[in-house]
Amino acid sequence: MRFLQMLMMTLVLAAWGVRAEVPDYQVFPAKGTQLLLWVASERGRAEPEVLAARKLADQGVEVWSLDLLSAYFLPQLSRSMDAVPPQDVADWLRSALKGDRRVTVYAVARAAVPVLRAAALLEPAQRKQLGMVLMYPNLYTVAEALAAPDYLDLGALNGLRVRVLQPRRSAATPWLSGLVDHLKVYGAKVDPVIMENLREGYWGRETPTEFEMAESQRMDGLLMREIKILGRK
Amino acid sequence: MKQFLAGLAMSLVLTAHAYAAGFETRAATPAPALKARDMSGAPKTLADYRGKVVLLNFWASWCPPCLREMPSMERLRVKMEGRPLEMVALASAEGPEDVKAFLAKMQLSFPIWLDADGSNTKRWKVFALPTSFLLDAKGRVRYVLTGPTEWDEGEALKIIESMLAEQAVTSK
Repeated sequence: MRFLQMLMMTLVLAAWGVRAEVPDYQVFPAKGTQLLLWVASERGRAEPEVLAARKLADQGVEVWSLDLLSAYFLPQLSRSMDAVPPQDVADWLRSALKGDRRVTVYAVARAAVPVLRAAALLEPAQRKQLGMVLMYPNLYTVAEALAAPDYLDLGALNGLRVRVLQPRRSAATPWLSGLVDHLKVYGAKVDPVIMENLREGYWGRETPTEFEMAESQRMDGLLMREIKILGRK
Repeated sequence: MKQFLAGLAMSLVLTAHAYAAGFETRAATPAPALKARDMSGAPKTLADYRGKVVLLNFWASWCPPCLREMPSMERLRVKMEGRPLEMVALASAEGPEDVKAFLAKMQLSFPIWLDADGSNTKRWKVFALPTSFLLDAKGRVRYVLTGPTEWDEGEALKIIESMLAEQAVTSK
């Protein structure tokens, strides 16, 4: 077992060494005043997400869609997100902030980890310019039954405005308040939002409900609303 | 080359995960309190089951892996008829309507309890569904399983049989 783990780690590191040079992202250009940085979950992009990005671009919101695990050639596992260098993501955020558009980051599931850590590396003034929407963020270090949850260290997030979107039908929902408190400890201003009658990753479910299918088609509307809410703050 | 490395790394990750999966043994710690309601609204605890082995399953009607293992739980109940094993499926952070709608589709003869406000889910520190606990006759947690299983066969059945054997010895 230990041998397997060692071999696995060696191969993961070897794969890391031959990672792609250019981050794997797609740009959905638009000429409006809003820029959305969309960071896909550890499962990568799903078709409804690409469709939503296109619809947002049609409405004037430019979308930069980034698949971090593909870019860094990491296995599609949630903990792979922890290995993404936050400095690289911070550079990406800085380049987005250089323009005169309002920037919102949207990260799904464990992608919240590199994005938050990157935000912590920004200058406080830059961080205040960002709005962040986190879809069911997973920030656990350890979450084992019968033991109190342990969350990852993130770094200073003072001034960062965060909206946490949590589908109701999720094992994480009872733990939402703990996650929000954890973000607040680092200085983020956090608003949690419960999404009724939805499950995590509802846009990519094998057996979606009719409501989930309808909401998948309306994902652009959801994000547009979140962008506007963050813009008002 | 890099695709090969990634593929190999991924398969080894999955292999290691498969080895790691299964029942975790626990050091016979007293179980947290459980205060739930049954489908008729009556209050329920595990105290009535002291002296018996208990399978406590946290689940939700919207959770496909939870629903997949339910038929095997029903078969286990039939198989264990008359033996000192009690089974409870606790619907995590879910109201009675969704659970009733599910039970209209799947007939289950073991107790279904409600944890509508999620307080038991938090007290038992359940972070994934399904999560199951096997309690011994003294009400101590002996095994934890995160994820689904086939309850009426394999490792699950072997563990339950060993706990029942232990219960038989200690009750003499």
